[in-house]
Amino acid sequence: MAIMEGFNKALPLSNPYINDWKNEGKKVLGYFCSYIPEELMYAADILPIRVRARTCADTPMADAYMTPTTCSYTRCCLELANRKQYNFLDGIISCNCCDQVRRLYDNIRYKAPFPYHYIMGVPGYVSDTTIDWFKHELKKLKLNLENNFEAKISDEKLYDSIGVYNKSRTLLKELYLLRKHDNPPITGTETMNILSAGVSIPRQQFNKLLTQQLSEFKGKAGISDYKSRIMLVGSMLDEPEYIQVIEDLGGLVVTDSLCLGTRYFWDLVEVGKNPIDSLAERYLSKISCPRMTDGHPQRVQFLIDLIKEFRVDGVIFQRMKFCALWWAEIFMLRDNLKEEGVPFLDLEREYILSGAGAMKTRVQTFMEIMESR
Amino acid sequence: MEIDIYNKYKKLGRGNWGKDLIMWKAMYTGLLTRFKEEEFTPFVEFFLNLFLDLPKARREGKPIIMHPFNYGPELFHAMGIEPLMQEIFSVGLAPFHLNEPYIDYTNKIGYGDNPTLCNAQRPLIGTYLQGAAPIPDLLFFLSTPCNSLAMTYQVFHNLTDVPMFNMDVPYWLYDEQYETSEFYDEKTMDYMVKQVKDLKNWLEKMTNQNLDIEKFQETMKLVNEAREYVVEFNELLKTVPCPVESLVGFGNFLVMVTKGGTTDAVNATKYLRDLAAENVKEGIAGVPDEKLRIMWPYTHVFFDQDLFPFLQEEFQANVIMDILGYYQVLPHDVSTIEKCYESLAKGTLDFSMIGTCRGPIEYYIEYILNFVKEYKIDAVCMPMQFACKHAYTMARVASEAIREQLGIPVLIFGCDPYDSREVPLEAIRQRISDFITQVVL
Ligand code: SF4
Ligand code: SF4
Repeated sequence: MAIMEGFNKALPLSNPYINDWKNEGKKVLGYFCSYIPEELMYAADILPIRVRARTCADTPMADAYMTPTTCSYTRCCLELANRKQYNFLDGIISCNCCDQVRRLYDNIRYKAPFPYHYIMGVPGYVSDTTIDWFKHELKKLKLNLENNFEAKISDEKLYDSIGVYNKSRTLLKELYLLRKHDNPPITGTETMNILSAGVSIPRQQFNKLLTQQLSEFKGKAGISDYKSRIMLVGSMLDEPEYIQVIEDLGGLVVTDSLCLGTRYFWDLVEVGKNPIDSLAERYLSKISCPRMTDGHPQRVQFLIDLIKEFRVDGVIFQRMKFCALWWAEIFMLRDNLKEEGVPFLDLEREYILSGAGAMKTRVQTFMEIMESR
Repeated sequence: MEIDIYNKYKKLGRGNWGKDLIMWKAMYTGLLTRFKEEEFTPFVEFFLNLFLDLPKARREGKPIIMHPFNYGPELFHAMGIEPLMQEIFSVGLAPFHLNEPYIDYTNKIGYGDNPTLCNAQRPLIGTYLQGAAPIPDLLFFLSTPCNSLAMTYQVFHNLTDVPMFNMDVPYWLYDEQYETSEFYDEKTMDYMVKQVKDLKNWLEKMTNQNLDIEKFQETMKLVNEAREYVVEFNELLKTVPCPVESLVGFGNFLVMVTKGGTTDAVNATKYLRDLAAENVKEGIAGVPDEKLRIMWPYTHVFFDQDLFPFLQEEFQANVIMDILGYYQVLPHDVSTIEKCYESLAKGTLDFSMIGTCRGPIEYYIEYILNFVKEYKIDAVCMPMQFACKHAYTMARVASEAIREQLGIPVLIFGCDPYDSREVPLEAIRQRISDFITQVVL
């Protein structure tokens, strides 16, 4: 339990780990999407932090600039940036992962600037041509980090950094393997705490905590008082409270396809070759999100494989309101799940949990449907 | 004479165009009826031919490729593939409220809603499922300007299995530390040229034919000819008063995006250039007693065809240009096949709404600031589509830059140009009228 507290300490935007890092005179950069290789920043002795916006309650300023019909994740980020809630960040790195994130970058630069901004282009499908372009983009980012932060990102440092991040990926996969059990030792809510911590604290510390946590889990009695095994699918979710609502109703979240979940860590970076090449190949060809226009068949297969491996009873799509990418993707996935006979629930949500009552009713009904099968 | 031409087109439109072209035929018939009392200019003929080309392609067994509004069709024309710009449906049906049933149906089957996915493409899904949209042989789309477009094309592909090709327009951020040009560097060009070649290879494979290089060069030359007229026309718009009325510039865009690379396009663009040149010579204003010159750095409110005539009559306001009509493609170099590919790649990067939207907001702001200065603009009007995330999220910052740097008033409002039920015509006209009377004048 004490170890879990170590993860929980990382839940606030700014946390003691970041403070310690900064007290050593080192820099912290916020990044916006899982297509940005954290390894590059870490190799420059910069702490990469996934930009989250947990404390956002309303978005008047962001509504005016980003408009009320953009997704609430991006609006919350602009709002908090404008309220100087990210003062612990020395800059941000963004990409064109979706229209809203790429314009968030513009609005931040104009209305809530940081000392450092960078945006990189991520191609929309995988081919030799696009991987080659992406390598070029990574070289540009590397050079830019070196120039702006007086760092030298040598191949050795990159190898080390890749090693540290691959270690995390392996540990997280081990954690997920435990969730395959009939009586998993960990809930989805606890898993989300760990995943959020992973992108908010120095990676070596995270690996240490996770290694300890895994050995603790191995001796722990599993959870048996659940009604159904749930898979969560969608974009940016870093709110354990959201999963808590599902689990309070008897659904145990056992796996996912989320930005911070499997899609983040499932694939390793290949070692033993040019590190920039390995990073470019891994980040572009990893299990994709709907921004990759050629990835739908691969995503379907990934989902179906996970459903089978984790013996999922039902899928909950947590679809961020106003997100074009995920609406279209879910529209297509529905048919795939119907063909497989897997029940699903399409839950539109705001970034910050609101209307938990309505959500409860729908999840409750979904549970009943699954139980009656 | 005119009645002869009318009868010719009437005859050409006869016959069975196929069930899935019923809407297409209805649009053709509507146009012909509208033009009956007017002169059959080369521009009018371009339009009518555009509608006739599709059933003709069907009859002749020519492959049809569906593509969005932001790609020049020269390669398709060069390969004898009939391009179908899919937004002709959403734009063409909007004034008659005929998108609306398909939008409702698309809502009903659960494919998005208006603020999430743009109705420039979204109704296509409902239209197709109800059998009212033709199924092309091939699908082509680009990653820019928006996710909404790219997703609807994928959904269409998913439903129909029509083979699809996606071209990735790279996000481009000029960085003087590494790049050689503000708009393209070697790497970007190389990336795009490779994709143009990939597209060519794909088209060859799909249609079982090889690109005829001479024909390709001829097509590219025809694009150059038409382009020259468009550029001259755009120059003439700088004249005060403007020699043509609102919307004429948009005509050039329609020509280039559907028939760039054909003689129809050369004739239509020449006609518009001549019209503007003649009016400048004669001192004729497109809007008599022009009082206001408006820039419209976005798409039109397509369901209100009379909005611009209304502004012309009420305020002597001329909408000089919209974002699509401002065609900025450079001349194609046709000296070698390699140069042709390069030109096509560059043309893709510069195409309307791609050039201004494929990078950071500065691209968009610069475009507006330059246009306002060069075309002596008095006010800027941005009617933003609710679902157009990449553009709507630029509007406020852009408007602040315009006001601060040039002191020009800007109006931003949200609407759905394809569905009059979201923000009705009267409300939009009132909004613009209030802006003109209370802020601009
Ligand atoms: S939820 Fe959708 S719109 Fe929002 S940041 Fe993620 S991908 Fe973009
Ligand atoms: S109006 Fe905007 S959202 Fe709609 S198709 Fe055009 S660029 Fe995409």
